[in-house]
Amino acid sequence: MKALKIFMALLMLTTGIAKAQFTKAELQVSGLTCALCAKATEKSLRTLPFIGDIKPDLIRNIFVITFKNDQAVNFDEISKKVQDAGFFVNSLKATFNFDKVKVANNYFSYGGDTFRVMNGADKPISGQVPVTIVDKGFAPKSLSKKYISQVADAAPVKPGRIYHVAI
Amino acid sequence: MKHLLLALCLWAMAYSVFSQELYVSTEPASNMATNSLGIRVEDQGYFNPTYKNRETLELMYGASRHLMVHGSIYVSDYYENQQHFDGGSIYVKYRFLSVDSVQKHFRGAFFTKLSSINNPIVNQEITLEGDNSGLQSGFVFTQLLHKLALSGTVSYLHAWDNAGGFNLPVSNAKNAVAYTLSSGYLLLPKAYKDYSQLNVNVYAELLGKTNPGYGQSYLDAAPAVQLIFNSLIRVDFSYRIPLYNSMIRNTDHMYLVRLEYNLFNL
Repeated sequence: MKALKIFMALLMLTTGIAKAQFTKAELQVSGLTCALCAKATEKSLRTLPFIGDIKPDLIRNIFVITFKNDQAVNFDEISKKVQDAGFFVNSLKATFNFDKVKVANNYFSYGGDTFRVMNGADKPISGQVPVTIVDKGFAPKSLSKKYISQVADAAPVKPGRIYHVAI
Repeated sequence: MKHLLLALCLWAMAYSVFSQELYVSTEPASNMATNSLGIRVEDQGYFNPTYKNRETLELMYGASRHLMVHGSIYVSDYYENQQHFDGGSIYVKYRFLSVDSVQKHFRGAFFTKLSSINNPIVNQEITLEGDNSGLQSGFVFTQLLHKLALSGTVSYLHAWDNAGGFNLPVSNAKNAVAYTLSSGYLLLPKAYKDYSQLNVNVYAELLGKTNPGYGQSYLDAAPAVQLIFNSLIRVDFSYRIPLYNSMIRNTDHMYLVRLEYNLFNL
């Protein structure tokens, strides 16, 4: 257990440089119909250590999130907070800086997790690019199913959680 | 007049501009956020034949994304000349269905309520809000479809003898069916930009009960106005107007004033 903790700490340290690559995100929540609900959801999201600031757009049910640049972003935690507040993530479009990390064979990694690009980008990607997570819990079920069903080949062994994204 | 009122209620339901589901006289299928607490102080009463009122203290807690618990205590002068502690109730709601998208959602929940009350039973209506010891169970479904939000509940009530040796009269119904239909819309603000804006919501609710086999039933129209300050403090006003009534009850022409305060992330 202790060895695992040390390993995790080392992993955090070595991936520390990569933390700043997700800079912000547009989170659209479905089912929000009242001010109380939106405020409860935002307050719940703000308890996450990697969230710097949140600007709500109450007309479009969107939270514009700015991430802290010294903390790794955990997208599953975001989805969990929204669901605990009683709602669902309709879309999560996070901006990733591709200047230092490149997409190779439709994969890129961040904070110990692996991201699989679903709409096979042939042209090289660089700079700040919005990335939409299409996994269950981040998109409407039908959309998520459509993307995940495309995964025909056996996924190669990759570290961490594998997120599926569209660019 | 009554038909006009019913027509107005139905019209309000069909033409809701911005739907709101923080209903005043009923509960929606949605729950409060996990680990948030709502505190309600409520005053209800009637003016005829004499002024009588009841105060309720209600605590509401979001236990998980699916489960929500309410606990209430009641104090009234309905059955005595001075205010007296009526008893309490516990309410649990479990959300089992959520079909959500940005512009529409459909939610379903199961709820159950238990009460223990120490008042004499002089009414035909079974209510667990301070008048009867009993059990209530039912379903609530809430549908938001673009700009229209409707919520309906159907539940079954069973009354026991009240505490304090006050038995249910043999001629009284022991069982009842309750049904409600609610709709609400956001009147203000016109453009929703931040949490500090005052919200004004208007609701149209239909509340009915029947004692099967006893020929006793009623249907009330309960229009309501709601103010929400700073997305934290909620103030509700409602008044029940019977569309038809053949039941002896306290809730006839009853007003309701409520103050609610919300605490998030306990």
